[in-house]
Amino acid sequence: MKLNRSIFWIFPLLVLALPLVLNQYLQYVVNLILVYILVGVGFNIVVGNLGQLAFSNVAFFGIGAYASGILTTQLGMPWWLTVIPAGLCGALAGCAASIPALRGVRLFYLAIMTLAFGELMRWLYIRTPGLTGGSMGLTVPEPAVFGWMLTTEYHKFYVFLFIVVVVVIATSRLLESRIGRAFLAIKNDENAAAAMGIPTGQYFLLAFALSGFVVGIGGSMYAALVGHLSPEDFDLIQVILHFAIIMVGGLGSLIGSILGSILITATPEVIRHFEWLVGSEEWIFGVSIIVVILFLPRGLSSLLAKVNSIFKDRYYRN
Amino acid sequence: MIEQIQSVLTNWDAMLPVLPQLVVSGIAIGMLYALIALSMTILYRATTVVNFGHGDLVMLGAYALFILMPMVTFNIAVESSALGLLASFVPPFLVALILSLFVLFAMGYIIHRVFIWPILKGPHLSLALMAIAIGYAVRGVIRKEYGKEVLQMPRPFPEQEFEVFNWGGIGTYMTLDEMIFCGVVIVMLLVSYIVFSKTRFGQIVQAMFQTQRGSSLVGINVMHYNNLIWGVGCSLGALGGVMLGLALALDPDVGVWTLLRGFAAMTLGGFGSLYGAVIGGLIIGILEKVLGVFISTAFIEITCYLVIILVLLIRPKGLFGQHATLRI
Amino acid sequence: MALLTVTNATVQFGGLIAVNQVSFGAEPGKVRALIGPNGAGKTTLFKAIAGEEQLASGTIHFQDQAIHTLTPHEISARGIRRTFQTGGLFGELTALENVLTGLHTQIPSSFGGLLANTRSAKAVEKAATKKALKLLDLMGIAHVAEQWARDLSGGQKRMVEIVRALATDPPLLLLDEPAVGLAPPVRLELMNIIRRLVDEENIGVILIEHAIEFVMTVSDTIMVLNNGEVIAEGAPEEIRQNKDVLEAYLGR
Repeated sequence: MKLNRSIFWIFPLLVLALPLVLNQYLQYVVNLILVYILVGVGFNIVVGNLGQLAFSNVAFFGIGAYASGILTTQLGMPWWLTVIPAGLCGALAGCAASIPALRGVRLFYLAIMTLAFGELMRWLYIRTPGLTGGSMGLTVPEPAVFGWMLTTEYHKFYVFLFIVVVVVIATSRLLESRIGRAFLAIKNDENAAAAMGIPTGQYFLLAFALSGFVVGIGGSMYAALVGHLSPEDFDLIQVILHFAIIMVGGLGSLIGSILGSILITATPEVIRHFEWLVGSEEWIFGVSIIVVILFLPRGLSSLLAKVNSIFKDRYYRN
Repeated sequence: MIEQIQSVLTNWDAMLPVLPQLVVSGIAIGMLYALIALSMTILYRATTVVNFGHGDLVMLGAYALFILMPMVTFNIAVESSALGLLASFVPPFLVALILSLFVLFAMGYIIHRVFIWPILKGPHLSLALMAIAIGYAVRGVIRKEYGKEVLQMPRPFPEQEFEVFNWGGIGTYMTLDEMIFCGVVIVMLLVSYIVFSKTRFGQIVQAMFQTQRGSSLVGINVMHYNNLIWGVGCSLGALGGVMLGLALALDPDVGVWTLLRGFAAMTLGGFGSLYGAVIGGLIIGILEKVLGVFISTAFIEITCYLVIILVLLIRPKGLFGQHATLRI
Repeated sequence: MALLTVTNATVQFGGLIAVNQVSFGAEPGKVRALIGPNGAGKTTLFKAIAGEEQLASGTIHFQDQAIHTLTPHEISARGIRRTFQTGGLFGELTALENVLTGLHTQIPSSFGGLLANTRSAKAVEKAATKKALKLLDLMGIAHVAEQWARDLSGGQKRMVEIVRALATDPPLLLLDEPAVGLAPPVRLELMNIIRRLVDEENIGVILIEHAIEFVMTVSDTIMVLNNGEVIAEGAPEEIRQNKDVLEAYLGR
């Protein structure tokens, strides 16, 4: 069968029917995938498009989740009203994380620094029990949208799907424009980018803020999905998870982020089904990342592009 | 924060005699950070790769000793074996230690040869993630096999404590462990200084740090030396891990904790500087203890994060990271 | 009116004076070449004009406005475009996208417009793409528009870089060793293109070049730098006979 671009419309429509065939638990996994799609898409902006080695994504994720959680528990706001503020908090954290990059910190130095930033945030979640519930965690009430309670995973699914589609389309429009080109130009050669009249500093700030915004929204959805936030949810294992998503999917590729999040989120759930593998998730995960880097350095999206050229991603470069 | 500082100032007379004890224990733990930072610096200097999985390899060093210890003691029982013969002269702990350092040397050698070298020319991101993934896999295996119960690190000698000196009736104590740690780290620092500045091996490593391509053009087998350096770096890290296991506990999750302290020491001392790493480690050890008691216990946790962030923002080259000191 | 006026420009790296009290002007419709031995300070002077290096003293005026305090992207937006000695192209972008990046300042799409994908945002992007394709076509490299820049040949790369620099119709073009690594026929072509730009579009060109025949043929004025100082300036024929220049080059 010859593939054409209409599958990009047919596929999401098919996804709409998922709740009919899934049980609550599988639906939860699908919802988690939706959360991680935003995490991957946001992370890819800084790492894949801007080309900066920044580990701050977990901080954005956590800040978005806690912002949503705190706003609902402390101020009694309905969840849907906290989604945008959570994104803005993430964007603010993104601005903060871009400061070292603006000061000329690059490569491993930037990685180390943003790693420290993430750990500092995690420490902050533990040390401010008045707001975040400390190490006991924060229980988030059931999410509400326009007064409707999202009591089941199926309800959450439709809301999440809507958010993800909107955010992914918006991100793709930005990346397809001169903004996305400027990001890639900076990744390739900062001096040459500046010589084209691109204000590189502003674009650093924009990329980090945009990434923070998208991931912050992902965090807010995560808070609504799991219902209980604890500081351990945002430790270094998350860093590896986020990296794995964009690396397995394909750096700088939107389709890759989506593929990566599906695969990385689903794998532990599959492993859980085989009793003799239980407890081995970590090393299997580590080994699979190693294998991907060694043998598929351009990620899954490069495989798909080989199968059919319509999967060639316009932003996919490596 | 201000109140705490004020209370420190008002209680100055009471607090001051504690200071030597804090500094001494700070130095003792700082020595461990220093050793880990030193092993990371050696890796970085030769291969210009920052190993983000180093913390987990350090952790593996401690576990390697833990796993080898029963085997060594078993072999001592069977006196006819070669290992048993050796062990009749040397304490089993030392045999196990040396064996575990060898194991980690081999690990480092193989990790570089198989996983790092093929992607060395690829994007930095792949290198960083590869190192993280290796560390993650190592942690996964250890956690699966030994993570379920709290394990006791075998001790080479009973814990003892000595009074180093006395000030106004408040003594300053140091454990035998701490003394030995300091001694070992100082010896290791001297050895690596001599190796890197006086030997041909050190010169070659220096050349490779300047330019790997140039080195290969003048006939240096860069891959071979990189393998060796990764081996050396990992076994030095393992030594740090063993001492860390003795000082704290056996814990499969200690990797990130270790990594960030090593980074903090390297950043403060200046990336690539051998003695910078050591001095950075000592300063961070002391800062953690002193600030932790004098200002807030929070500083025990966050000193290293703050040091990394502040140093990279204010003085990215650290204390000794000038170009001149890159070529000790 | 002089297009660019450099007055007593000095650039220092620590104790080293890379460019020392250099003054010159550039006019529209003229090619000025900077030559000199390696380390003479030619590229440093370029960087100072483009805003990548700070002047220790002196001034640079472009169209009667001081530009030596501006950042590189501001100077670029004023209309001074440059090419790079090596690797100035964005390898992961296609040739077309490289030129579109050159047009960055002339694509006025707003953030909100892009998000909503409004008709005007689409029209602006479309117009820019059309212009970029036309420019590539003018240089005879439209057939590589969709190829990644890093896969192009050396000559094609150089052409794309020049097209990219010219995309915004800048009044002044700085070319850093445009002919290096090019085959003789491509060099000839490049020479013709530069002459055509200067004669027909009336833009000013400053170029750094080591290929002496290239310089002699294409330039109107040649300025010779040695150890950061101007040692000679004049028409190609005068420079050919100048004793100081021969000394600086041959080290006699």
